[in-house]
Amino acid sequence: MPIDHKRINGPEITIPYQLFDKLNTKSGKSQFKDFVKSNGVRIDGRSANDHRKIFLKTGVVSQAKGSAYIELDKTKVIVSVFNPREIPNKSEYSSKGEIYCEFKYAPFSCHKRRLHQQDPEELQYSAIMKQALESAVSRHEFPNFQVDIYALVLHNDGAALSAAITVAGVALAHAGIPMYDLITSVTLAVQGEFVLVDPNLEEERLCQVPLFKDEQNTNHGIVVLSMLATHEQVSQFYQTGNLAMDNLTSAIETLTNAAKDIVVLVKKCLVRHVIKSARNVED
Amino acid sequence: MSSEDLLVCLPGQRLCLSDHTHVSGQGTYERQGYIYSTLAGTVDIVDKDNVKIIEVHTSGKQTLVPSQGDIVTAQIHTITQQFCKCHIKCIGDKVLGRHYRGILRREDVRVTEKDRVEIYKSFRPGDVILARVLPITEAHTYQLSTAENELGVVTAHSEHGHLMVPISWTEMQCSKTFVKEARKVAKVVPESVQQGLNEN
Amino acid sequence: MSEQYKILHPVKYYRDYLAHNIRPDGREFDKYRPIVVNLGSISTADGSAIAKVGRTTVVCGIKAELCQSKAEAANEGFLIPNVELPPLCSSKFRPGPPTEQAQVATQLVADILKNSECLDLKSLCIFPDKLAWCLFADLICLDLDGSLIDACMIALMAALKSVRLPVIDYDPALDNKQANLEHRKPLNITNIPSSTTFAKFDDKIVMDPTVDEEDLSTALITIALRKNELCFVHKPGGASVTDEQLLKCIDESQKRAIVIEGIVETALRSLQ
Repeated sequence: MPIDHKRINGPEITIPYQLFDKLNTKSGKSQFKDFVKSNGVRIDGRSANDHRKIFLKTGVVSQAKGSAYIELDKTKVIVSVFNPREIPNKSEYSSKGEIYCEFKYAPFSCHKRRLHQQDPEELQYSAIMKQALESAVSRHEFPNFQVDIYALVLHNDGAALSAAITVAGVALAHAGIPMYDLITSVTLAVQGEFVLVDPNLEEERLCQVPLFKDEQNTNHGIVVLSMLATHEQVSQFYQTGNLAMDNLTSAIETLTNAAKDIVVLVKKCLVRHVIKSARNVED
Repeated sequence: MSSEDLLVCLPGQRLCLSDHTHVSGQGTYERQGYIYSTLAGTVDIVDKDNVKIIEVHTSGKQTLVPSQGDIVTAQIHTITQQFCKCHIKCIGDKVLGRHYRGILRREDVRVTEKDRVEIYKSFRPGDVILARVLPITEAHTYQLSTAENELGVVTAHSEHGHLMVPISWTEMQCSKTFVKEARKVAKVVPESVQQGLNEN
Repeated sequence: MSEQYKILHPVKYYRDYLAHNIRPDGREFDKYRPIVVNLGSISTADGSAIAKVGRTTVVCGIKAELCQSKAEAANEGFLIPNVELPPLCSSKFRPGPPTEQAQVATQLVADILKNSECLDLKSLCIFPDKLAWCLFADLICLDLDGSLIDACMIALMAALKSVRLPVIDYDPALDNKQANLEHRKPLNITNIPSSTTFAKFDDKIVMDPTVDEEDLSTALITIALRKNELCFVHKPGGASVTDEQLLKCIDESQKRAIVIEGIVETALRSLQ
């Protein structure tokens, strides 16, 4: 790897100490059983359809036009949105504005240390974010300009992408960027017959590979869906793994219902912001 | 209005039916016969000729970009023989969150005797001007014009760095050294007239 | 109207305030903004802290990894600080490699750490020449509103204080390592260096400037102290400062250093 002259570099080879922990010899299947009991109750006491507790706050970055912060239990994401600016390296006139999204994990946010540059996963998530938000923003109101949206994950404990999309929607509304609708996003983890809403990191990891091969049910993977609240339109859909067609409809239904539950929180948070700033004007 | 009886709305919220007495205004959009909000803010209903215009105003600073016909306040930073470059800082009385690049060509400085205009006798770097935005042709810069009596230099400093006062529409005088310098001076109009100007 | 005045004539706007012996945010010249420290909120890091100085916010996460020590310093580990100014924190930055400001901040923080000798790198060595700790301290600015170094130092020191490293059993004969994750130990931090930034404007000096004040100022001075000893003074060019002014700045930063140390210690106690 080329040396990064603009940062202080550590020794070339470093190894996470977690690798030298006493070996975990349990199979993936029994690990999964530890996390999800056969009746669907999860290790933190949630049922399969329960979302974690959500904390939302607007106006956390004073230098940005709009900003918001979300906590899904331990998962923490901060997003800031800036005023429209000229689109770099573009000479022809475009009648619709553009949005630019950057999704980044902080180096210390995951179990493994992340590098400073965006890796392919982060680039892919940036593209998904852009796709999800594009249909929510009234882009014709700022032709020829670009709105920058930056998301930083401070702590990843699962469902970071959907948390980033939801909180970016709140930050856009906080910034006063014209939008057609509010947007919320939910992650679903599938493993065999278990369908878990808003998985934490361990659940996400265990759903990446099929664990119940012998039972003829190879359903596994992650599904992320973003919804526009009022018009009930799906603006983005992302799925990895293996999902039988029959299960798809029920998965989408679970996701839309979960997305609707979050809208209430998003609305509450924004109304609080509007009333608070109206009071400030009065004083 | 106290904060208790504010009409708070959020993006995508359906506000009312769209018909000939209710028209979609600033901060709203129309879709399948209904008016929806595009912003998080407060609803304002403006009565105009028996028509109710539904408007939504954001609670924070408005997101604005200059558009054709706007009167803008700009600060000159570079001058050449042919044009001068400036930063657009306000639209009307609204301060922009980010400044945008503008360009003012020699032929757009004044109405009469266009070919005899000399840029350095009209503007200097640091001057604050009022200008109108011309139709947008290029992607990256706004073309401006000061070819109106009310447009041109508003505040300027002399070579010695003191504030100057206008003495005619082509000259300004230093308040300390009384040296006269050439400028394309804006005729300052009272604020009430100014607002009428912005609406046109 | 004042908003238009501020954007068109920022220098005059600021000078008008200073003439009345007050700053635009209502502070007097020698008053600093409130400091808030939050510890240990990021459990994926081995030590973490969030520091706020006014609205400037810096989050520091420390991740420990194992490595081989350098040949020239066989019995030392590593402490690698990096300051990141992502485009998230201010409209001044664009995506891409670290800006000059970020590089300068990184170097300053590294220098203060080295000069203050707050952490003996030898204590990070597990077995000479074979195994040592490498602590990656990543400082990310979330909101840039001036006095970046001050906030970085507070976040970094608080995070270092909260680090708990697992005990490693190392068998040099077999090169066999075993981490004991249940048994963790804190680092031996001997002092808490802190810094204070001043900005010079005309002939006045203001403490703990906001970003607007930093942009308008003609000179910036950053003074870092450990206990009552100077460990770093940074004045990168700009307008000249008289002896008395510099001594007064050092005096003021001494008072603030005591306050900062108190805040970090209190935050640490609430963690335990």
